[in-house]
Amino acid sequence: MLQRIAIICSAAVLAACGPVSEHAQVEQDGLIYCSEGNPESFNPQLGTSGTTVDATSAQIYDRLLDYDDKRQQFVPALARGWQALDNGTRYRFNLRTDVSFHHTNWFEPSRHFNADDVVFSFNRWLSQQHSYHYVNGGRYPFFRSSGLIRLIHSIERIDEYTVDIKLNQPDSSFLANLATDFAVILSEEYAQQLLRANHPEQIDRLPIGTGPFQFELFRKDFIIRYQRHENYWRQKPEIKRLVYVITPNANKRMLKLLTGECDVIPYPLVNELSKLDQNAEIEVGSSVSPNVSFWAFNTQRPPFDNVLVRQALAHAVNRPAIVQTIYDGNARLATGMLPETSWAYSSAEQTYPFDPAKARELLSAAGYPDGFSMTIWAMPVQRAYNPNAQRMAELMQADLARIGIDATIVSYEWNTFRQRLVEGQHDSVLIGWVADNADPDNFFRPVLSCAAARSGNNRAMWCNPEFDKLLVSAISESNVDQRKHLYQFIEDMVKQQAPLVPIANSLRYQAHRSDIEGVELPPYGGINFRYARRVNDDSL
Amino acid sequence: MIRYSLRRLILLVITLWLLSLLLFSLNYWYPGDPLTNMSGITANNTIAYQQAELARGFDHGLLSQYVHFLEHLIHGDWGISLVTEQPVFDEIKPLMGATLELGLLAMALALFLGIPLGVYAAIQQRGLLDRVIMGLSLSAYSIPVFWLAQLFILLFALKLNWSPISGQINPLYAINVQTGSVLVDILISDSPYKTAAFYNALHHLWVPVVVLAIMPLTMLIRIMRNSVLDVLQQNYIKAARARGLTDRHIMFRHTLPNALQPIVRQLGLQFSVLMTNIIITEVIFNWPGVGSWLVKSIYERDFPVIQAGLLVLASLILMVNVFVDVVHAWRYPQIRKEIDAE
Repeated sequence: MLQRIAIICSAAVLAACGPVSEHAQVEQDGLIYCSEGNPESFNPQLGTSGTTVDATSAQIYDRLLDYDDKRQQFVPALARGWQALDNGTRYRFNLRTDVSFHHTNWFEPSRHFNADDVVFSFNRWLSQQHSYHYVNGGRYPFFRSSGLIRLIHSIERIDEYTVDIKLNQPDSSFLANLATDFAVILSEEYAQQLLRANHPEQIDRLPIGTGPFQFELFRKDFIIRYQRHENYWRQKPEIKRLVYVITPNANKRMLKLLTGECDVIPYPLVNELSKLDQNAEIEVGSSVSPNVSFWAFNTQRPPFDNVLVRQALAHAVNRPAIVQTIYDGNARLATGMLPETSWAYSSAEQTYPFDPAKARELLSAAGYPDGFSMTIWAMPVQRAYNPNAQRMAELMQADLARIGIDATIVSYEWNTFRQRLVEGQHDSVLIGWVADNADPDNFFRPVLSCAAARSGNNRAMWCNPEFDKLLVSAISESNVDQRKHLYQFIEDMVKQQAPLVPIANSLRYQAHRSDIEGVELPPYGGINFRYARRVNDDSL
Repeated sequence: MIRYSLRRLILLVITLWLLSLLLFSLNYWYPGDPLTNMSGITANNTIAYQQAELARGFDHGLLSQYVHFLEHLIHGDWGISLVTEQPVFDEIKPLMGATLELGLLAMALALFLGIPLGVYAAIQQRGLLDRVIMGLSLSAYSIPVFWLAQLFILLFALKLNWSPISGQINPLYAINVQTGSVLVDILISDSPYKTAAFYNALHHLWVPVVVLAIMPLTMLIRIMRNSVLDVLQQNYIKAARARGLTDRHIMFRHTLPNALQPIVRQLGLQFSVLMTNIIITEVIFNWPGVGSWLVKSIYERDFPVIQAGLLVLASLILMVNVFVDVVHAWRYPQIRKEIDAE
């Protein structure tokens, strides 16, 4: 009997080895990325979630221009070139003529990319009359909160490969915004086909773009499958298949990286980083990520509409201890909204020190000597700016208890969580912001302006016309020293009003098997697999 | 026999009806709009919502709503998921395939190992191997499945690297999901790497199957051992011995068929235990089955999906139990007499 068991066991082990060569071939041609969550849709125009951007922007789509962060300049992409005309209120883009869209089971393009596609992609979010504007929600949070919707007057097709974009006023951040991961180009022909078939909503579910990979299949909570775009207009990617395996649990992601089930993982557990680095099969990459994690108060709800209460709460939490525990030395205590890497950064301290006595005083002054109870919403996912919001919330819970505030921690699945934040169901939330471009404006307008409050991206639901005026004057100023000065004013105002408490600026980490090369993690934007390749062991 | 089967079937129908009543009421007990909970259509989508209102009888009283609810249920129109906005019924089919694959393989493994081991332990009663088998099965029985799964992952995946941690197959094989059962899907796929894919799937499959099989396996060993011991005490075995039949003949012709009776009776119960464990196992191994889907939907408060998951798992357990009962009564007429005598 024991013999029989032994035979069965060894059969199982043998089965595990299998035909090695075929297996090696399949592995050689593909790459598995264990992503941290489900994308909300397959169109980055519709959201600001980093997970969606990672799954779409650099893989499925291209933009008119790209930002090269090494040379710190804009480089041509779908546009061969551009000129600023009429004192910077009109931009003319000359488009490439050799760009083909994805050929898939659900769409066969009959023509190459041209001006119609650009006009369609822009008008979708720009014009409320556009037939696709309200398809799948009709909120374009990035374009609304970055001000692009109000900045662009109109977009015009000049000829088949030329478009003009007219602006309402000159703006120094315009090109930077066009180079972000959100300003992607969709296919107009595909949109028309869907409209005729009466299924316009499919445009964001079965996406068609010009990017290096084409979408194949998405199974929620399990996988997203892409294959190489064989007619890609730039250098084709080396890997033939790209698969995202959705693995929300950070521990499991690490384990799967160790067993080789994942080739690349985002957001490895920060406190395990040093251990991972010693493992020869695994390499840890980091990039400067212009981000800030913060604790935002819902200023529409009492008692958080009272600035004294907000200041008290800012005094009540021990931020240095939190940063030490959560980031384990891989982050810097935030001194304001702007991270150290921004050119408008100043070393002046623009946050509140930890001082429970002062916090109690402020609470009494605000009329809450006995404290109150509140909720802290903690993100269910790891982000570069916050690897463990739940734990952070627990630490804050303890700090708050010392000044008599009874805090409960709330969390939902990520997409539900974001949706309820937009609806303003929270008292306070631990979340953060990753900048989309290098302009300091991007740390304020999309996060704290009135427009952002309307589009639901302003987690503090804070709208202050004076603050908005400051933002506008900063963006219209072209003198860099003057602008820097203005951003210090803005930082001061954020401190005074305390709609949120900045917590930390951290690096963004990513870990991969050592036989993978070329996975790009640009500071502004999502992960990019265009140059990814697998190095053969023989060639090492 | 026919009377007995009919009685069982009527009982099944009544239980399913009670289940449908429960599911129907859940829609009103959940927070939010009952129509949204039932159909997955939110009030934002005005036109579809009004259509659903009519189609599901929400302009009439509760009774008519229930009748429409049943109608939709039977026609496979189980509403759409609140999260993915896809029809729940279409989503559940491949998941069901994955769950059944895991469950059936585990059950088969348990039967394949459990019966011989139980018989062997009975023959060797109080021998060394009997003690080893019984000791091991008792300790294995007392290990909760979530812990066992983690233990196996730690041992086989991380330390020995004999198996991956999760999933059905290396996703690079790009096997399209049709039935949901990965082995079947590979066989009907047109992948150029069928053999390699098949091995890879087995490579993924064996740990969750073993984890699931252990609980029913230990039960089966113990039941089988006791039952064989019981039968061996019977007069007809003694008579057979006296007639000079060989041990082999007695075992296969007289002992085994009779000793299997409690096993068949236990199968229904064991299947229920298996289905409970499968939910946990699927979550741990990221298995794309009904169990992990149900757990996920609870986190997401996706009411149409919760209902469908409950319905499918509960009716599966009910039907298997009734089926086992009927087979049991058909194979072992003495049971029918016991039941009828009540």
